[in-house]
Parts: sequence; structure tokens; C-alpha cells
Amino acid sequence: MSVIEIKNLTKNYGKARGVIDVSLNVEQGEIFGFIGPNGAGKSTTIRALLGLIHPTSGSVTIFDKSCNEVPEVRMEVGYLPSEVFYYDNMRVIDLLKYSASFYKKDCTQRIKELAGIMDLDLKKKIDDLSFGNKKKVGIVQGLLHEPKLIILDEPTSGLDPLMQQKFFELIGQENKKGATVFFSSHILSEVQKMCSRVAFIKDGRLMKVEKMSDLQENNYKRIKIEAKSSINKEYLKINGVSKLEIKGSAADFIFKGNINSIMKKLAEMELTNISIDEPDLEEIFMHYYAKED
Amino acid sequence: MNMYLHELKSLRKSTIIWTIAISSMALIYFSVFPSIAKEAENFKKLLSGYPESVRAMLGISLDNITSILGFYSFIFSFITLFGAIQGMNFGCSILSKEVRERTADFLLVKPVSRRAIVSSKLFAAFTMIVITDIIYYAVASILANSVKTEDYSNKLFFMISLTLFFIQLIFLAIGFVVSVFFNKLKTVLPLSLGTVFGLFFIGAFLATGDNDAVRFISPFKYFNPAYIIQNSRFEVPYLIAGAVIVIISITISYIIYTKKDIHAVS
Repeated sequence: MSVIEIKNLTKNYGKARGVIDVSLNVEQGEIFGFIGPNGAGKSTTIRALLGLIHPTSGSVTIFDKSCNEVPEVRMEVGYLPSEVFYYDNMRVIDLLKYSASFYKKDCTQRIKELAGIMDLDLKKKIDDLSFGNKKKVGIVQGLLHEPKLIILDEPTSGLDPLMQQKFFELIGQENKKGATVFFSSHILSEVQKMCSRVAFIKDGRLMKVEKMSDLQENNYKRIKIEAKSSINKEYLKINGVSKLEIKGSAADFIFKGNINSIMKKLAEMELTNISIDEPDLEEIFMHYYAKED
Repeated sequence: MNMYLHELKSLRKSTIIWTIAISSMALIYFSVFPSIAKEAENFKKLLSGYPESVRAMLGISLDNITSILGFYSFIFSFITLFGAIQGMNFGCSILSKEVRERTADFLLVKPVSRRAIVSSKLFAAFTMIVITDIIYYAVASILANSVKTEDYSNKLFFMISLTLFFIQLIFLAIGFVVSVFFNKLKTVLPLSLGTVFGLFFIGAFLATGDNDAVRFISPFKYFNPAYIIQNSRFEVPYLIAGAVIVIISITISYIIYTKKDIHAVS
């Protein structure tokens, strides 16, 4: 069964672009990554999904129902927005209890559990919390009713690496318990770790939906090297190298494919410096464009 | 129910402040009543020096200004002004604050319909206004009783006081409907003060004559204490006008708020 079904979703904001003709399905039990640069339409899609905005055309359903027609379907949805804001004058525990009161079940135990994991002080006032701590409130708030669908909009911004790791563990556990996860991000590597499939969105259009296993075979790396002597361009032109730029003894390129093949090549060179990075999304997108042209 | 209680809590502080403000206005006015009653003749003479139109504007009626009810109807226009600001403020802010304080992403993804959200907020504001008015009425009655020089009709006193509730209700509804037209209402006070004062002065300046049609423009002129004292009843056409404003405003608010797009914070 498809937990999320988006069919030809288009949303216009007057002149500004929203999303154009986006269709995708998220199946029960998967962790689905939704990747795109800022302003690509990730949040617009998510907000349409949650019923915060109304599609110009097309349809969006969760568990086969539209949030606008059947608001109760959100009973099974947990949402963590990219920026969290709550009623400032409330204490954390009161906010969480207020949140729990919408779901018609006792969440006290779960709140304590989650707060323990996330190391969150329940007695503090929301107003006094740092951005990172507010984010933790958001995480607890989104998960306390043990939702069957978890929607995360750039969830890791503001969390320190340790908390990020705990957070991903938490999401992983929820997923094992059967929750479906829809996860938007502009950082590919973040999604790479967890997701079974990813969708790429750019300029409001869905570029591609890929299985993570396929993407991992096509491991993208941005490699910069400096050699002792000038580099022969032909030497580096092996399968998978693209955007090769050579300036004397320095080279800069993107490599896609089996890492071992390029490492062997590089190992035979006399290098003075090397850096291997995740290419940014833009670069990967360029690749997709290139492939389709 | 949970939303209703939450909204009540969030309105608690401002309700207390408004109740105190409106009640202390009554206190200040009634505290000068004994001296006015004592110097009744001089006071009337002084007031008769004012041009007729100014007196009409201020709602002064020379015949009974020195009786409790006459005095009350004179000061009442200022009390309704305050009350209207409270009503309009509550109306403007209670729906729009979710976007202003950026909590819409919290409340509007809960498994409740927009309609239920509007209802909870509306009833919470309504409740608080009723509470304000009950306390105000109690305070005003006690004050009037303690400064009176002769007995007055409790029924008429109640009827005049009741119009405060009507006016607050009208402005609550106006505030409600105005706020749903804004995508993001950054501050409420200028809007509500502007609307309320605007209508108040329109009422004061335009409706001084006998032209009854003009009175429909300003809700402040819907309930004329002098008429209530004379006839022991409200003027039905204006009562209906008030009800129509309330019903239409609230209906439109429901429709628009349900269809509204809630945009991401930025």
C-alpha cells in the first residue's frame, strides 16, 4: 500500500514558483529521501501533503485520504518542520502534553522516554531554549504519539553531530517498528545513510526517483589532487571521471563508480595533496541533466 | 476542548488587564458623580454653554445628566470604546497569532479540522468577553448603588450595560474577519485601534443629526442609551444590523480560513 501518493501536484504562488507536476509514491515501511537545493519545492510539497496549503491542481493523499477533507488522517502523522516555533510562554512539558492531547492516547511514558534519549529538560520554558533544544522539543513532539508516518523537513539543522546521530537512531527504530519515513534534505550524504529510495527535486520539478542501492553504486566523489609534476590529462580520463579540470600539477574532477578503480590510478601518482569530498547537490544534478540530454 | 482550554489560558492575562481597565474607568467616572449630583444646577448650566452639536456628539442629555442613568449613558460611550478595542483586539489576534508567532506548523498539522480550530478560538474569545462583561457589570452596579442619590431602574441599567457586550461581539466578529484576509498580520494593535477609533469618530461626527440611516455606519451608534431609558427596549433595526454583521463576518471567517494556504515561516 502506498502511504503517500502524490499525483501531478502543481502549486503556483502567483509569480513565484511552487512545484510543477510532481508525482511520487511512498510505500509502507520505507524511508524515503526527498532531496533538492533550497527553494526547489521540498517544503511546498510537504506542506501540501500535510494540508497546510491547497494544491493548484493534482492530488496529495496520505493513507489514501486527503488531509484537507479528512483532517483525522493526521492522527497517524508526525511532522518535524525545518524551523520549530512553539508557544513561548509554555513549559516544554505543557507543550508536549498539549500536543499529546490531540491524539487521544496516553503519551506520558513516551514523552519521558524520548526526552531522556534526546536529553531534553522538560521543566524549562520554551522561551529559554536554544535553537538546538527547540529542535529537540520538535522531535519529541513529532514522535510522541508513535505515528505511522513520520515527515521530516530538513530535520538535522541546528542539531549537533551527537544529537544528529541519536536522532537518526531514533528514526531508524521507529522505522523498524513499522513507521514510514519521508525525509527532506539538501544534503545527499545525510539521506544516503538511511533511505531506501530518494527523489530529486529541482526548480519545482521532480527530476528522478532512484533506489539508494543504485545511487550507491554510482558513488559520486569530488576529488582534488595536487601532484609533484604536471598531470597528464589522458591519464585521468578513465570511465566515471567527469568535469575534469587540470591546472598544471593540480586536478579537479567528479568521479562516479567503483572507488577502487580511481584509487588504483591515484596510487600510482606522486601526490602532494588530495581531498575527497561529497560533491554538492548542484553538481550531481548537473550530472542528471547531462545524462538526460 | 483541549484547544478551547488552551486558548482560554492564552487569553487569561489580557482579559484580566482589560477587565481591570474597563472597570476602573467606571470607577473613575462614578467617583465624580457625587459632586456632579451635588452641584447639579451649576453643572447643567455649564453644559448648556456647549453648542448643541457638541453635546449630541458626547451623548449628553441635559434633562437627566445628573441622574444615575443619565450620567451612565453619558460615560458609557467611553466604556464601549474601550470594550470595542478589547473585542477587536481579541478578534484580530486570536486566529492570526498562529502565523505571527509561527506556531501554525504546530497547530494546523494536528488531526483537527480548520473549522474546529476556528470554533475553539472563537468560543474562547467569546467566553472571555462574557467574563469581562459580567465582572464589569458587577463592578458598575456596585459603584452605581454606592453613589446613587435616588433609586434607579436596575433593569435599564442592565440593558444599557448589555450593549457593551453587543458592541464587543460586533467588534470581535469584525476583527475576526479582518484578520483572515491577512497572510501575516505582524501587529494587531494599529489595525484594531484604527478601525475602532475610526468607527467611533465616524459615529460621533456623522450621527449627531436625526438621520437614522447614517447610524448604520458605526456600530457605536446602534445602541442609544437615551432611547433605552425612554422606551425600555432596544431599537430592533440596529439590533438586527449588529446580528447581521456578526453572522456574516463569522461565516466569511470560517470559509476563508478553511481555504487559506499557510505558508512556511521566513
